[in-house]
Amino acid sequence: MNWKLGFAAAALCALLPLVLPQYMLTIAVEALIFGLFAMSLDLMVGYCRLYSFGHAAAYGLGAYSCGMLLTHLHLPLPLGIVLAVAITTVIAVPIAWVCTRSTGVSFSMLTLAFAQLGYAMLYRFKEFTGGSDGIDGIPRPAGPFGMTVLQGKLGYYYLVLFCLFGSYLLCRAVVGSPFGAVLAGIRENEAKTRALGYNTRAYKTTTVILAYAFGGLAGALYAPFAGFASPELFFWLASGRVLIMVIVGGAGTLIGPILGGAGFLFVEHQLSQLTDLWPLIFGTIFIGFVMFAPQGIWGLIMRMFEKPPAAQEALAGEEASRAAS
Amino acid sequence: MPLLECKGLIRRFGALVAVDAVDMTVEPGEIRAVIGPNGAGKSTLFNLITSTIRPSGGRVIFDGVDITGLPVHEVAHRGIARTFQLCHIFPLLSARENVRIAAQARERGRWRFLGGGHVLSRSASEADEALERLGLARCARTPAGLLSHGDQRLLEVAMAVAQRPRLLMLDEPTQGLSIQETDHAVGMLKTMLAGGGLSVILVEHDMEVVFRLADNITVLHRGRVIADGSPDAVKANAEVRSAYLGEFD
Amino acid sequence: MDFLGFAVAQCLNALSQAAVLFFISCGLTLIFGIMRIVNFAHGVIFMLGAYVGYTAIAVTGSFVLSLVVAPIVVGIVGMGFERVFLRRLYGRRDGGSYLMVTFGLAVVMSEAIRLIWGAQPLGAGIPAFLRGIVIVLNQPFPLYRVFLIALGIAAAIAVWQFLERTRAGLLIRAVSQNSEMVHALGVDVQMVRTAVFGIGCAMAALGGALAAPLVTAFLGMGTTVVIDAFVVVIIGGMGSFLGSIIGSILIAFVQVVGSYYIQELALAFMYLLMLVILVVRPGGLLGSEE
Repeated sequence: MNWKLGFAAAALCALLPLVLPQYMLTIAVEALIFGLFAMSLDLMVGYCRLYSFGHAAAYGLGAYSCGMLLTHLHLPLPLGIVLAVAITTVIAVPIAWVCTRSTGVSFSMLTLAFAQLGYAMLYRFKEFTGGSDGIDGIPRPAGPFGMTVLQGKLGYYYLVLFCLFGSYLLCRAVVGSPFGAVLAGIRENEAKTRALGYNTRAYKTTTVILAYAFGGLAGALYAPFAGFASPELFFWLASGRVLIMVIVGGAGTLIGPILGGAGFLFVEHQLSQLTDLWPLIFGTIFIGFVMFAPQGIWGLIMRMFEKPPAAQEALAGEEASRAAS
Repeated sequence: MPLLECKGLIRRFGALVAVDAVDMTVEPGEIRAVIGPNGAGKSTLFNLITSTIRPSGGRVIFDGVDITGLPVHEVAHRGIARTFQLCHIFPLLSARENVRIAAQARERGRWRFLGGGHVLSRSASEADEALERLGLARCARTPAGLLSHGDQRLLEVAMAVAQRPRLLMLDEPTQGLSIQETDHAVGMLKTMLAGGGLSVILVEHDMEVVFRLADNITVLHRGRVIADGSPDAVKANAEVRSAYLGEFD
Repeated sequence: MDFLGFAVAQCLNALSQAAVLFFISCGLTLIFGIMRIVNFAHGVIFMLGAYVGYTAIAVTGSFVLSLVVAPIVVGIVGMGFERVFLRRLYGRRDGGSYLMVTFGLAVVMSEAIRLIWGAQPLGAGIPAFLRGIVIVLNQPFPLYRVFLIALGIAAAIAVWQFLERTRAGLLIRAVSQNSEMVHALGVDVQMVRTAVFGIGCAMAALGGALAAPLVTAFLGMGTTVVIDAFVVVIIGGMGSFLGSIIGSILIAFVQVVGSYYIQELALAFMYLLMLVILVVRPGGLLGSEE
């Protein structure tokens, strides 16, 4: 099923700009970027049960690095993005190493602490980061060899689409690799995985670093598009939003969070204009999913179309009856 | 050279001394049973050897190397595999995948996050082999959580075996099994161990199982070794008798 | 410049902040101890307490009454939330659900507050009988802050006695250690849990009602405070009542010292402290290893 569906999806996305009005194209780009951001978090949350409350840090690091590189060093766009991802990945190493020292809630609080630290640092080093104003006027320079195609919205859309699909394929490969199989073990029973001879902490650390790398890519794609980067990117509510998107979209599926993230951005844009109640509705929907449909939207869809191993349902049934007693 | 040497292992939990200056030596190819009344310190001893907990004193020497205090995964990697008292498996994964992950642990390629297809297929065939040896091939595709208790225990043994350990540590492998399941399990174990080359330490309460499998027996009581030797010698030992209050003939 | 007087004033300042922090973190740690869940909505509960307290003053004109009404109202809301939502999650294998649900509650509740009370900060100000200055070592110090310290100490003693000396307190301690055993002994563990959740929320709400005259009730007051409270609880040890006291004092001092000397890094200091403690002792100062 997957190849054909994937191809169809790619074709659909590629053709989308031809039918959308210009102003919608901006939202489409942001939606794709947010989808990428959400997918990066899924690696941690869905595949490793590492609930991060500070993933906005990855996004913010990518955005700010790219913004500063492009503004101060006048690098060509693709180079700026690549370097920003590299910087984010490097910074992620000590963060990942410290955070994985703890588990459960402590892990979550540590990730949050790092994001808040980043937030505070932005204000401390005002001269570089622009403080509460952030970095403004980030240019979208011509690419190498004077390529100007990326400076237009359409060109940028295809750049983001390419990055999203490429990242998705990479993540799929990771999840299906020997490394990914170990993540499944860690998810199911970490103590046992360790007893089998795996250094589970190293696996978790690597997963966090990978998540930061892809999250940083999303941020790096955002900065030159929006033209600015501000401290809000690091704020805990931003981390919360993307976490919600992963869960509602369907943790552990990669696709779910992409759809959830992209969809959320669309809906938010449409609805927040209509009603002041949007955040309230959104929060309630989220609670509903956690309570009654923890597999998320995509998880539910997968259940419907793919014949689930009877096992899954039986096990779920067992759990439910245990919970009721 | 002995495969495993425990020298003066001590473990305290506050005022309680769970393991008290235990010395134990296991030779290559030996099947050693560790028995004792409840609270004797058997599981604690297991946990000390596998480095699941740290000793308060004493050393563990495996194949001539001091492994005391090494991280759990490192000890496992050096060739000690164990099963747990409360069955530890990956419930949502298929039986085959459970064992495959265990087999994969030895591969250098277990780190690969891109590609690695040959690692996956190699470990998969090893898993199939292990499942075959333990008579579980028929439930290869079943999620492990749905297997019967007896099969789950055997699956855990299969996982341990797939690690190709030199020392296999089984923590109450027949606990919770019916008489038939126990018989089946013991038969499987005997066949598997008949090939030789594997040392086993076995914690067991079921004396029949012990006498069917063990070459030597170590008896623990209140954290101390009170007897150590062949099954006949242990049976005849008066101290062992009194510790068990005549629980076995 | 009278350094000693100044130092004492700053200490008192820190202690008054510690008092408010204690109200929040004590509830958080009690809830964790008994339910093994981290109530991410605790900061918003604090905020709700501030707003309800404001309304109570606006309606009745009595500050003291607001200190009674806010905890009761918010405590009931908390218990309702526990009964309707949290109870259903007990069987779940995945511990992340609680975090998520309480996070969702935080979002929903802050929005509800915004819709009900509006976006403007609301302040009733310090009540007349608590305005005024106390002279400590030649330094002026607000009477209200002294009141906070006194109330904080009183509450700490009250909770301590409640946990140690009363049967209810015994039940709570028992459930937090071994809920299955207590259940086997015939106690309605669910009810204990609901009650503790309610008490925890009530305490946080009291903290909010007390803080409101000082800082006004404003949107977003919950977000920084929940992180502070978490840092306190993690440093002091999750589930440890004594830890919440020590942690509150520690964090309050770090904040006061930090913001005096290096303004921007006050925030960073706190996180660094948490990082250091978690790295050295993953279970917190007084908590058990997880």
